[in-house]
Amino acid sequence: MKVVSTDVAVIGGGAAGCYAALELQRRGVASVIVCKGLVGKSGASLFAGNLVLSGRALGNTEDHARNTAEFLIKYHNQFLIDQQWARRCGQWLENVYYPELEQAGLYLRRDDDGNVVTSPGKIRSVAANVQGNSGVPFMDLRRKQVIRAGIPRLEETAVTALLRKRDGSVGGVFGLNTITGEYVVVLARAVILATGYSDRMHKRSTGTREMSGDGIAMAWRLGATMVNLEMQWWHTNDIADPPSWQRMQVYPNPMLGSEKSARMVNSLGEEFFNQQQDDPLAYGPYTVQLKALAKQVHAGKARYDGGYFAGFDHCDAQEVDAYTTYGKSYRQLGLRFPQDLVETAVTAHYRQGGIDVDTHTMRSSVPGLYVAGGLGGHSNGLIGLATFDGRVVADGVTADLPQLTPCDLPEQQVDTERRRIEALRVARPDGVSPVKVKETIRATMWDKAGVEKDAASLRAALGDIADIRLDLLPRMSVSRTAPSANYEWLDAIDVVNMLDTCELIVQSSLERQESRGPFMRRDFPRQDNERWLVASVMKRTENGFRFEHRPYDLSIFKPDFTTKDNLEVAW
Amino acid sequence: MTNVDVDARRLGQDERHDTLAARNTRLAIGEMLAVRVRRFDAEAGGAALQDFQVPYRKWMRVLDALNWIAENAATDLAYRWFCGSKMCGTCAVRMNGREVLACWEAVEPSMTIEPLRNLPVIRDLLVDRSPFDRKLAELEPWLERPTPYPGFPEPLSHKDIKNASKALDCIACLACYSACPVIGLGNLTDFAGPAPLVQLGQTALDPRNDAAKVARSLERTGIFNCVSCYKCEEVCPASIPIVTRVIEPLKAKAASLRPATATHSRALRAIVAARGRVDPGALVLRVQGLRALVNLPRVLRLFMRGKIDPIKTFLKRKTPAAGAAERLLGRGDSP
Repeated sequence: MKVVSTDVAVIGGGAAGCYAALELQRRGVASVIVCKGLVGKSGASLFAGNLVLSGRALGNTEDHARNTAEFLIKYHNQFLIDQQWARRCGQWLENVYYPELEQAGLYLRRDDDGNVVTSPGKIRSVAANVQGNSGVPFMDLRRKQVIRAGIPRLEETAVTALLRKRDGSVGGVFGLNTITGEYVVVLARAVILATGYSDRMHKRSTGTREMSGDGIAMAWRLGATMVNLEMQWWHTNDIADPPSWQRMQVYPNPMLGSEKSARMVNSLGEEFFNQQQDDPLAYGPYTVQLKALAKQVHAGKARYDGGYFAGFDHCDAQEVDAYTTYGKSYRQLGLRFPQDLVETAVTAHYRQGGIDVDTHTMRSSVPGLYVAGGLGGHSNGLIGLATFDGRVVADGVTADLPQLTPCDLPEQQVDTERRRIEALRVARPDGVSPVKVKETIRATMWDKAGVEKDAASLRAALGDIADIRLDLLPRMSVSRTAPSANYEWLDAIDVVNMLDTCELIVQSSLERQESRGPFMRRDFPRQDNERWLVASVMKRTENGFRFEHRPYDLSIFKPDFTTKDNLEVAW
Repeated sequence: MTNVDVDARRLGQDERHDTLAARNTRLAIGEMLAVRVRRFDAEAGGAALQDFQVPYRKWMRVLDALNWIAENAATDLAYRWFCGSKMCGTCAVRMNGREVLACWEAVEPSMTIEPLRNLPVIRDLLVDRSPFDRKLAELEPWLERPTPYPGFPEPLSHKDIKNASKALDCIACLACYSACPVIGLGNLTDFAGPAPLVQLGQTALDPRNDAAKVARSLERTGIFNCVSCYKCEEVCPASIPIVTRVIEPLKAKAASLRPATATHSRALRAIVAARGRVDPGALVLRVQGLRALVNLPRVLRLFMRGKIDPIKTFLKRKTPAAGAAERLLGRGDSP
């Protein structure tokens, strides 16, 4: 077993984790990044298609600035957001984020005359080199900044448990190097969880292979409070086949250097969504699209898993190709671009909710445990927002550091966790493979806690989860028992986290008795601002959990109705 | 018979491009693919080929076939992937002898899947990326500004950064690193390899970078060992013109910033410019100088095999093409 000591253990190598580590270093605080995949190459940050301009950056007008804030609060969070945090974040994006990224070398796409290319319209965005691929050079830059700064990385290392100091606060993690099979313990004065917000929990998910709800599951086991876990986002425009392309998106956002964007048609060839015409303020029109699709599904003209199409057949190929990657997937499938549309389907995207945090410090409810990025329940995480969290958490931890003591090796906890993990690496004659259990969980979540759900389907999902725990979990079996490069073992470890996290999500979905944005209950189809414009806070108790409702500050934007059919609400 | 104009640099790419429609339609749904996977487990006795029958799904990628095998036939198969959408660059393998990104490439009716070359195999298709990571870190592939950052947005046009912008499409999948024959020579050269060069090119070809810093990085690349065979370009799933838009511009930069690293290319260019042809004897003299005497046995061997011809070198200095060569290349000796 390898034991590493540092000031702060950062769990996650995406936008939030990398930036937290870099900002900590600027403040003279040492950290180690532990990443289940590869820093900057796994996780959801990679998928940033483009970067939204905030405030008055780059010639944004007062209207642009207001529209961006309105978009974030209404369309992206359905008012379930701390508006003062959003204001602080917007100011930071405008004044710090873009200059800092560019100074470090990020290339924001210019034209040949030297103008930064933006998308037109009520909310503007820019791209790192090319639209649709901005997360790649962005995260590549972060990876290199981390290397240059000499911040140690423990890569392809899955953290399986948080460790407590003697006083009960969090002060370390236990993990498994998935390549060598070696156990790792990182001892620190504080732990920052930054494991992201899009997990591979549904049959179709945008999350990367390694994302399995680990952050939520581990924090919950230690008693951390959750919020709005039911608020699940969906991609509506992802390519239906092949399965490996389930998150390959036909981006619906406004295009750089064009007045057009992707359109969607149903099984009869009738157009049912075109962002530029239907809702120009919906810069990232995911929820607007989803509602338009729900109406098509109800009319029998599409399914959530296919039977409708998306593309750019109303555009010139040159126009799309100038600044975007959008044509490449069509061509790779042998389709004609832009004449051919491609069959698309819904994919579970990120979660708005997550671990409940104090947005000034990113403290969770558990001492010593901090959260950054999409894993937090304070907002969903566009890459800029997740990055801002990295800054805030670095400030929060640095301020608390004098009170945070180093952690001694908690041998009993380590021993217990090692035995738990080792019990998952067993070959049984009548066993079931962990990957099959994963698929069973994903099917349950898709069928019973998918886009549209009701109390009966959610209770059935809880029943399935209980059955999986009772029947499949004890029979999980690996065919090869050596610890090195054993992905079956990793899958088995993931399954436990997936079950815990799914159960919390389903319980939270039962609790919110309304429909709001992408959260659609068949039995409560109306959005109810009287009762449910609240944070649905899930607290751990001795014998389970209880929910509390916390109102939101509506000082900047507030909805203009009390209740309304959710499908008739634009956002 | 008439000559057909062929752009040699696009040969591989055009072939692949032309057959994309066919690649995606030649199999019927449910039809069985014959998939052979090279498996390796040091603890279980080394390498072996294992055969699988995999049912075709619509628009199936190589990664889908691997996922099917790992779910249904060999649950212990080790292979790396994260995103499934050509962004993370971790799923590159060799399919029927050619480097492909598993999530991007269509399956073939019969295919042999092997790990990338030129990297240590950990298990099955899983390779150790650390030799690449180490080489890249040694090159310090980042921006150092010679003057203070002027503020957002800084003056910069796409024209200034066209080559670097091509390099920015790189997802570090290491397909090119596996395909590179010079890297295949192992430690015989100090060549950094195509993937580290493309990653370096992202900032080394950026006009905002400090020239002295770029020169220091380029010194460590062994870039003139590149034989311009275009294998890297042929396999690049991001379609980066690696030789033309990255390695050649980097070579030019190295030659002007650190002429000593480019002795061989500068000599070759000067000889062609002066004589209108390659003269191997003159090349040996210019590159080796007096060291040619120390290597006399080798020089004699070259002479015996007709590789060098002192009469031509010393007496027939120019060919009729010399004028054209001089016009094209100039008298300067920078490549």
